[in-house]
Amino acid sequence: MSETILEARQVHKTYRLGRVDVPVLRGASLRVERGEWVAVLGASGSGKSTLLHLLGGLDRPDRGRGSILFEGRDLAHMGGHELDAYRARSVGFVFQAYHLLPELSVLENVLLGAMVRHGRVGFARRRSALRARAERLLDLMGLGHRLRHRPVELSGGERQRTAIARAMINEPTVLLADEPTGNLDEQTGGAILDAIAALRDAGEGRQTIVMVTHAREVARRADRQVRLRLGEVVEEDVPSPA
Amino acid sequence: MYQSLLTRRYLTHRIMPLLAALAVALSTAMVATTWSVMGGFLQILLDSGRTFVGDVRIFRPSRGFAHYDELIARLEADPMVDRACAIIETFGVVSLVGDETRAVRVIGVEPTSYDAVTGYFDTLYWHPIDLPNRADRLGEDPRLRPLVPDNPDLARRLELTWEQIEQNGREVMRMDRKILRRVPAIVPGIEVHGHVNRRQPGGWYLPYAHVPNPQRVDDWFLVPVHGEVTLRVLPLDEDGRALEMASRILPVANEFRTGNYEFDSNMVIVRRDMLQEMLHMDEAERIVEGSSSGIVVDPDTGEERFVEPETVVDPARANAVLVSGAAGVEVNALRARVEEIYEAFSREFGQPAARVQTWEQINAGFIGAVRKEIALVLVLFSFISLTAVFLVLAIFWSMVNEKTKDIGILRSLGASRAGIAWLWVRYGLSIGLVGSLLGGLLSVLIVRNINPIHEWLGRALGITVWDPKVYYFSEIPSRIDPSATAIVLIGGVLAAGVGALIPALRAAHLDPVRALRHE
Repeated sequence: MSETILEARQVHKTYRLGRVDVPVLRGASLRVERGEWVAVLGASGSGKSTLLHLLGGLDRPDRGRGSILFEGRDLAHMGGHELDAYRARSVGFVFQAYHLLPELSVLENVLLGAMVRHGRVGFARRRSALRARAERLLDLMGLGHRLRHRPVELSGGERQRTAIARAMINEPTVLLADEPTGNLDEQTGGAILDAIAALRDAGEGRQTIVMVTHAREVARRADRQVRLRLGEVVEEDVPSPA
Repeated sequence: MYQSLLTRRYLTHRIMPLLAALAVALSTAMVATTWSVMGGFLQILLDSGRTFVGDVRIFRPSRGFAHYDELIARLEADPMVDRACAIIETFGVVSLVGDETRAVRVIGVEPTSYDAVTGYFDTLYWHPIDLPNRADRLGEDPRLRPLVPDNPDLARRLELTWEQIEQNGREVMRMDRKILRRVPAIVPGIEVHGHVNRRQPGGWYLPYAHVPNPQRVDDWFLVPVHGEVTLRVLPLDEDGRALEMASRILPVANEFRTGNYEFDSNMVIVRRDMLQEMLHMDEAERIVEGSSSGIVVDPDTGEERFVEPETVVDPARANAVLVSGAAGVEVNALRARVEEIYEAFSREFGQPAARVQTWEQINAGFIGAVRKEIALVLVLFSFISLTAVFLVLAIFWSMVNEKTKDIGILRSLGASRAGIAWLWVRYGLSIGLVGSLLGGLLSVLIVRNINPIHEWLGRALGITVWDPKVYYFSEIPSRIDPSATAIVLIGGVLAAGVGALIPALRAAHLDPVRALRHE
C-alpha cells in the first residue's frame, strides 16, 4: 500500500526582484510516495529548485498560500528548531554545484552533516559508528581511496559523489537532488545516477528521491516524471520504466 | 562540533584570520607593554616616595614634641612596629657650590636609626662600584676608578676614597682638612648640585671638571670632596615667632639619590643633633625664676642681692617620628596602631596632638597624579586598541561575505541560526585567543628586553625615547605585571569576540536559499 511521505499542496512562491514581484510557483501540487523516485522536469527558471527548497524546508511558501506536508505534518507549523531538525534528519540535499566545503577533506565533508545533526556530545558518542558509515558510503561511491583529499583535488563526478554521501550520512527519509548531473558530462552524469540508484537500493527500504532536472534522459531514471509548467506541476504523459 | 572543526580549518587555511590575529596581537602587546612599563614607572615612584618616609609618620610641624626616645621605645616594643626614628623636618636656605642659593627641605637625622627605617644608606650615590651600568658602555662613571690612583696612602689619609666618602655619608660627617677633625656635614640630594653633577644619558653623573682635562679623576670638582654648603635655618620660639636665623658652613659628606626628583633636587640631610642646636630644639636649661647672673634688685629698697636662679631642663625635641612596620603588617592597620600609641604617649607626657599619616597619604598628591596619568595613557591606548575590534569586525564582515555559501550549506544540513552565530563568534574568540597569546608573548619579550631594545634604537637610529635626563631613571622599568597582562589578554579575546559578533549575527540571519545561490 502506497504512503504519501511528502506533499506540496497548492504552493505559491513569489520572489521580489527590486520593485517587481515575480511569481515562480502558482499553486504547484505534488505528492511523493515512500520509496518513490520522482523526477521534476522543467525549463530553466521554471521554479524546479524553488520547489525543492520548499520541500526541504529551506524556504517557505507565500504566507497562507499553500503548504508542504512531511508525513502529514505541515512544515509551516514547525518552529525554527523543528525545521532545522527536519533538514538535519529527514532530508538530504544534493546540489548541482556540489557545495562542498573546500577547507574540509572528503571524509570531513561527509561527516559534517552528522556533526550538525548529533551535536558535540552526540557525535562524540557515535564517532566510530558514524565514521564507519561515512567510509562505507564513500566506498559505495567509489571514493574509498580519496578520504583525505580535498574537494579541489577531485573531479566533478567525484565531488558530486561526495555530496551524495554527505546527503545520505544521516539516513534521510527523502533525498532531494537539484540537477545532480547538471555540471557533469553525459558519462559522468550517468555514473552519478547509477550511484544514486545503487544507494536507493542499499538501505532496508527503498530511498525516496525527488530529483529536479531539465534533461529528459536523466528524468527517465526516475519512477515517475512530472513537469513544472507555468508554476504548476503537471504529470508527464510518458511514464518512466520502473 | 562542526564549529570547532571549521574554526580550526578556517584559522589554518586563510590569510585574513591570521591578519586579524596579528592585529589583536599588536594591540594587546601595545597595551600590555604600556601597562607593565607605566606600572613599573609608578612602582619606582612609589618606592622612591616611600624611601625617606618609612611606612607611617607622626608629624608635628615647627616646635615638635619632646621625649621622643620614650615614644620610639614604646613604638618599637609593639609587635606591629619594626623600627622607628625621630627626625626634624624644616625648611632652610642653602648657598651651594658655585654661589647658587635656594630653598630646600632640611631633614635632621640620626643616620643609623634613620637608615633602619628608610634605607637611607642605600641611597648614597657616591660609593665604589665594580661594574658600569648598562648605558655606560665606555665605563665613564667616575665611581669605577680610584679618586687618587697614584697614591693610595695619601688617598686614605685625606679620606679620598670612595669607601670613605660612602662612610662619610653614613655618618653625615666629613674630615675638615684645615683642622684635621671630623665635623658635622651635609648630604644633599644629587640634583641639588645639578649644575655641578651632570647627569649623563645613561643616568650616571659626571662631576664638573674645572681643569681642561676631564679624563683625570683628580681634576674633577667632586662635591663630596671639595664642596661646602652654607645652611641657614629659622628657629621659632614656643609661640611660633621667628628668632634670629641660624647659619652654618657645612662640608658635603656625600649626596643621595632616591630616584624621586622632588627629593633629590629639594632636600638635604644633616645630623639631627646639629639641627636641634640650630633650631633651639636641643636639650637646654631654662630659668623660670630669677636671672642668669643671680643678682636680683629689691623693687622697694633698690638693694641688689644674690638669689640662686630657679631652672628647669627642656628636653630635646623632634618634629617627626618615622615608623616602619613589621613584615606583613598592613600600612593602614599600622597607622591606626601608631595613632593609639601616640595618643597614650601624648596624654602621659603632656605632648600636643600630632598628625599620623601613612606614606601614601603623605605622598597622595604626586601618587594620585601619576596614577591618573597612567590611567589616562591606558584609556588612550585602549581606545587605539579598539581599532583591533573594528579590524576584526571588518575582516569578519568580509569573511562572512566570502563564506556565505558555506553558511547556506550548513543551513541546508540543518545547522541552526544560533549554531551559525556561535561558529563565527567562536571563530572570533579563537582569533582573539591566538592573537592575545601572541601579543602576550610579544609583550613579555619587549618588556623583558626593553632596555637593550632602547639602546639598540639609540645606537642604530639615534632615537632616545626614554631620556634619563627627562625621566630621571637610568633604566626603563622592565617588570612584567602578570595581573595587568592577564587582564589585557582576556580583553583582547573578548574584543575579538565583540568584533565578530555583528558579522556572526548577520551570518545567522542570512537566507539559506540566497546564501546557496551566492556567487
